[in-house]
Amino acid sequence: MTNTKVKEKIGRSAFTAAAILCIIAVVAIFAFLIVKSVPAFGKIGILQFMFGDNWSPDRLDSYESPLSGYYGIFTMIVGTVAATVGALLIGGVIGYFTAVFLVFFCPEKLKRVLASVINLLAGIPSVVYGFFGVVFLLPLLALFAPNNGTGLLATSIILGVMILPTVVSLSRTSLEAVPRAYYEGAVALGATHTQAVFKTVVPAARSGITASLVLGIGRALGETMAVVMVAGNSPAYPHSLFNSFRVLTANIVMEMGYAGEVQEGALVATGVVLLFFIFLVNVVFGAVSNRAVKTSAKPKKERKTSLAGVRIREFFGNIAYKLKAPYIGRAAAIVAGCFTGLALLFVVGFIFVKGVPHLIGNGYLVFGKFEFGGSRITIFPAIVTTLMTVALSLLIAVPIGVMTAIFLNEYARKGNVFVRIVRGAIDVLSGVPSIVYGLFGMITFVKLFGGSSSILSGSLTVSIMLLPTIVRSTEESLKSVADSLREGSLALGAGKMRTIFKVVLPSALSGILSAILLSMGRVVSESAPFLYTMGSVISATPHSYTDSGATLAVALYRLAGEGWHINEAYATAVVLIVLVLALNLLAEWVAARLNKKLTGDKK
Amino acid sequence: MKKVKEELPFGQTISVKGANLWYGDFHALKNIDIEIPERAVTAFIGPSGCGKSTFLKCFNRMNDLVAGCKITGKFMIGDVDIYGKTDVNELRKNVGMVFQKPNPFPMSVYENIAYGPRTFGIRKREQLDRIVEESLRGAAMWDELKDRLGKSALGLSGGQQQRLCIARALAVKPKIILMDEPTSALDPISTGKIEELCDELKTSTTIVIVTHNMQQATRISDKTGFFLLGELVEYGDTEDIFSDPKDERTERYITGRFG
Ligand SMILES: Nc1ncnc2c1ncn2[C@@H]1O[C@H](COP(=O)(O)OP(=O)(O)O)[C@@H](O)[C@H]1O
Ligand SMILES: [Mg+2]
Repeated sequence: MTNTKVKEKIGRSAFTAAAILCIIAVVAIFAFLIVKSVPAFGKIGILQFMFGDNWSPDRLDSYESPLSGYYGIFTMIVGTVAATVGALLIGGVIGYFTAVFLVFFCPEKLKRVLASVINLLAGIPSVVYGFFGVVFLLPLLALFAPNNGTGLLATSIILGVMILPTVVSLSRTSLEAVPRAYYEGAVALGATHTQAVFKTVVPAARSGITASLVLGIGRALGETMAVVMVAGNSPAYPHSLFNSFRVLTANIVMEMGYAGEVQEGALVATGVVLLFFIFLVNVVFGAVSNRAVKTSAKPKKERKTSLAGVRIREFFGNIAYKLKAPYIGRAAAIVAGCFTGLALLFVVGFIFVKGVPHLIGNGYLVFGKFEFGGSRITIFPAIVTTLMTVALSLLIAVPIGVMTAIFLNEYARKGNVFVRIVRGAIDVLSGVPSIVYGLFGMITFVKLFGGSSSILSGSLTVSIMLLPTIVRSTEESLKSVADSLREGSLALGAGKMRTIFKVVLPSALSGILSAILLSMGRVVSESAPFLYTMGSVISATPHSYTDSGATLAVALYRLAGEGWHINEAYATAVVLIVLVLALNLLAEWVAARLNKKLTGDKK
Repeated sequence: MKKVKEELPFGQTISVKGANLWYGDFHALKNIDIEIPERAVTAFIGPSGCGKSTFLKCFNRMNDLVAGCKITGKFMIGDVDIYGKTDVNELRKNVGMVFQKPNPFPMSVYENIAYGPRTFGIRKREQLDRIVEESLRGAAMWDELKDRLGKSALGLSGGQQQRLCIARALAVKPKIILMDEPTSALDPISTGKIEELCDELKTSTTIVIVTHNMQQATRISDKTGFFLLGELVEYGDTEDIFSDPKDERTERYITGRFG
């Protein structure tokens, strides 16, 4: 019996320790951001930094001597805002109409296919979108653009397509949550299907649709790699649709590899400004991602929203009214639905058609051995690096994440201050863009391990990023386990640990497993956190975690950027897409499959 | 280093003096005294929300799980003060519980029943096999289930699930079994089977059952306690309570004039 008591104590402490680690992660990131950016803000001057429009850093600048470079990021602030608005105009509007199409105008069979296509494509790595931009969109735009096609239009299109899945799936959820009675009431008054949809149902779902747009904005603001590949990245204003400009995330990626003292501080400060914008968006719209989605399912309960939020909501909710004809709305919905499905299929199809022949025809590409000075490319080292990274980062993030979720759901008492801090920490972690994690990893882990990048540093960095997803989805699945099972186990004299490990966790297994698979997909598709923590040179196969290496996504970024090995790049993109889609499909399958098993094999 | 703890001999009687219970500010049980005899069926009746389940859960300390729940008074099981220096898990091993809604674990029939014994360190396969068979026989379902021990318990019917939960409780050889409206979710035939079971079990086990159904109380119980608004209004032999209630409120309740 004493034995059991000891086990209970150890368990409890371990779960609490995991939760504390989450808090430490947030504190470390913020401490890092503050320590590194405050001197830069001080040296440059906050106003000059924010509103100066000359960015020409001198890497020799130090905090002791007067500055010889210029550090103003206003062009990039404007660039970021412009690109986000552009993405919203394209992805937000099309996404909104696509959701309406899916719910109200789509034939049942097509609906299921289209919905799962959209869901699966949410997982496609951003480097793949960027690569598609480089090989297809830019050449296309160059046909009529005054330059090679880079600039605001290309960026907005790519970002718009990237936020489509987010906007569509959340808008769809809130449209489907509108009580059927609204629709029936309208039809009973003589409205046609189309009128009922646009005048009654869609307005009722406004708050949820807004929430989906806010999430889309968040995604666009934090996106890095895809933008870097199509924006051109000169530190200039986007004064036309086609001129090279730079966004905040790009500023960090472009220069962090070789930044000097003040320059590095200014890059961290850029990250701080970016975080501030993301924070602002969430506050202004009164909707911190998760909660907004949840309340959107109950359209009757109006959330408190700021004036700007109301305006935007009315704008989108009333688009159909503004057009004065629901029939135009219906046409738009049908067009948007077709566009979304085709656009996403086209991205994947284009890359497959170009890449698969090279993948099949060139065995060396996948299974080759790196030759120094050779002209042939092999992505075998990248595959090994990817596997090593996935393994280590999950080994770190899964136990901590699952244990934190157990702490939150099984031990924590509601309303406790510590619990609120842990939840807050997790919300914050999920809002930090991946490039800021990359910056953090480079300046902390890499320095800690002697200054050279390594798979270890990259894995540590990305494992922090994975925590919020793992914690949240594990908690969701723990919550779905009926309390009566816990009571049943405790009433038999079992302790808390036995109850958790033998009854609760097995029942929550499907949710946890699919969260793990999705996290694998995430590691495979990320690139921004790895560029400077892990190295980006496609070279010899790594032998240990202290070696540096490039994951497949980073390799694709390099291959696409160099432009010499474009066929190999296509093939790499195919491998990436297949991997990510397979992981996402597997996650869906596991969730469905295990759930079925748990609900009993009747007879 | 390890302090050898004396095994507490849990008896089969329950004796409560001056019990009060609060959920936060809400006074849910008021000054309850009761002596529950061993190896008999005692029924708690009363309108819903009067505190029957709350009182029942005091006997195996399930209320410990409720945040903000405060309990005073003396609860003795045999000679053991269960809110004293008692090991809660040991207590719950001796005082089993069956819930209103059947709650089989999402495992096989066999695993469900072996769960309790395994908790207390029984690992040998033959021993577990024996316990599973005994428990299922004890719950009169061995013949029904012996060929599907490996199948998921969730595939059973509601009535079978509830009897499986009784078998699961029996597997740790409890001295007392608490049942909280065990038949309220079941059809009349399954209800009949469980009532028969109570009759058999009471030869060896003390049974305390909460029921919403007064006929059920008259059919199976030896003693009956009537609760109202957190008070134990009247307690005595079932025959006396139903034929000659002392308290006017009891009379009104059993004649169906309120509640
Ligand atoms: N966990 C709890 N927290 C707060 N109040 C509770 C809790 N459980 C029960 N109560 C309250 O205590 C009273 C008695 O409940 P209960 O014992 O479940 O009644 P019964 O089983 O007789 O229907 C009710 O008023 C109920 O609302
Ligand atoms: Mg009850």
